[in-house]
Amino acid sequence: MFDSKFLGLIATGFLETVYMTVSASLISYIIGLPLGLFLSVSRPEGIAPNPGLNRFFGTVVNLLRSVPFVILLVAAIPLTRFVMGTSIGSSATIVPLVIASFPIVARSVEASASSVRHGVIEAAQSMGATNMQIITRVILREAVPSLITGAASSLITVLGFSAMAGVCGGGGLGSIVINYGYYRGETGIMYVLIVILVIMVQIIQEAGARLSVKADRNTKNNN
Amino acid sequence: MSANDVIIHIEGLGKTYDEGKETEVKALEDVNLDIYRGEIFGIIGLSGAGKSTLVRCINLLERPTAGRVFISGQEITGMDEADLRLARRKIGMIFQDFNLLEQVNALDNVCFPLRISGYTKLDAEKRAAELLDRVGLSGRAGAFPSQLSGGQKQRVAIARALASDPEVLLCDEAVSALDPTTTIQILELLQEINRELGVTIVMITHEMKVIEKICSRVAIIADSHIVESGNVSDVFRNPRTDAAKKLILPSGGVEPFDGNGRLLRLVFDGTTTDKPIVANMVLSCGEPVSIVAADTKQIDGKTFGQLIIQLPSGTGSAERMMAYLDSENITYTEETDV
Ligand SMILES: Nc1ncnc2c1ncn2[C@@H]1O[C@H](COP(=O)(O)OP(=O)(O)O)[C@@H](O)[C@H]1O
Ligand SMILES: [Mg+2]
Repeated sequence: MFDSKFLGLIATGFLETVYMTVSASLISYIIGLPLGLFLSVSRPEGIAPNPGLNRFFGTVVNLLRSVPFVILLVAAIPLTRFVMGTSIGSSATIVPLVIASFPIVARSVEASASSVRHGVIEAAQSMGATNMQIITRVILREAVPSLITGAASSLITVLGFSAMAGVCGGGGLGSIVINYGYYRGETGIMYVLIVILVIMVQIIQEAGARLSVKADRNTKNNN
Repeated sequence: MSANDVIIHIEGLGKTYDEGKETEVKALEDVNLDIYRGEIFGIIGLSGAGKSTLVRCINLLERPTAGRVFISGQEITGMDEADLRLARRKIGMIFQDFNLLEQVNALDNVCFPLRISGYTKLDAEKRAAELLDRVGLSGRAGAFPSQLSGGQKQRVAIARALASDPEVLLCDEAVSALDPTTTIQILELLQEINRELGVTIVMITHEMKVIEKICSRVAIIADSHIVESGNVSDVFRNPRTDAAKKLILPSGGVEPFDGNGRLLRLVFDGTTTDKPIVANMVLSCGEPVSIVAADTKQIDGKTFGQLIIQLPSGTGSAERMMAYLDSENITYTEETDV
């Protein structure tokens, strides 16, 4: 079963999975990072409280998060067709992936941003910093280790989603599992793919944890 | 320092948290205070008295719910956000738990206020290095806060607060997290900064020893009100309110040994402490007294001693002893409800 055709298939699947996961994560961060920061600063105890907008965006995020991904995948097909011209293939899958992931990213960024000690923010305020300066020079700096940890776990979630998208013609390793492992009953292939996915998750997790520790200057045994 | 050169003028200041709600707390009420340019002004009170609220109302980290605050003649309570940010650059602040950026080193912490006010990275770093030098940390520019001791962290915070050449430095329990030796060093640094740079310092504390060590004037805050204020030595010599007595007496309140004897608080200054006053009094009146509490302090470079004694309860003996003290020119007050 490990002939060159098969290896080619796996290589393509792997690259597609990486492509979907990375692009969807990037786009999710482009939306989720500012949204998460907004959710954090607009809290009642944030630097720019805005109960109305906070509740509005919070609700949108919660609604999107409560839809199971498989359902979202199907429900998003019209939108995906509209945006990408098709609903099949790894590029098309990025649309539902982003819809499912940006709310997760937003909540994760919100949690990181909100964990910055209030006293440090107050010190910045006492020095005459604007809210924008506080966000860029205090919150985003102080939250770096936590943001890295959050990014690793978001990436793993997106990777999982991308595999699920295989059910709906999403391409990537997930499609191979469905087509070969499920429809043709080639369980050997399925196990190989599971191992690959597990390794990918482990690598992301380990890299995230190490980067976060390395970035964190708030520990005695650094430098 | 002329008496009319007021740098901080506080008028009818009030702060009620959660106004109108069930959780409403009146943290400050009708606070009036003038702080003079160039002085070190102490604000002392027990925990929960409203000290932090008061100091935070000076730079509007907390919005007062009543009254006005003026700094160098400008009403800070009437400013819009943009003017307030500019005004805040002239009011440095340091905190009990330092509030340094933990992810950047000492130098970059001091650079922060410079960078946000438009300094280039290079200029900011140059000035920050000078400031670290000024607070005695020249060798530790590259250290992260987690690698510094409490005293060193407070030095970084002081350098950071001084970066924008403030006229006023607000200190909220700035030495409360430090051990006694470090406390003295930081207080001496603040004193030096006050003398050499002319920065007016407002010291918030719950410890009398901080006030004694560096303050020229003091206000005592209790239950959301300023209950007493004046020169440290005057307030110390003659505390009028219970709150002041509690803070100044060596061990808080004292209990009389038996219910009858009257309690006297004697205050000696540098000129009288040499004489064995109590011993002489006991000898001349022929009756013993109990010493309830005793303490000496250094204020403004002068030694003050205080003694709380319980007079004998026999008829006339208390009066005889007080007459003796009068004849020796010793200041004393009768304590009724310590
Ligand atoms: N943000 C806040 N919200 C509600 N109550 C507060 C807040 N900050 C302080 N208080 C209350 O105001 C009173 C004075 O607090 P504070 O000024 O911190 O006192 P101190 O600094 O003298 O210990 C206390 O009763 C405290 O519980
Ligand atoms: Mg306090």
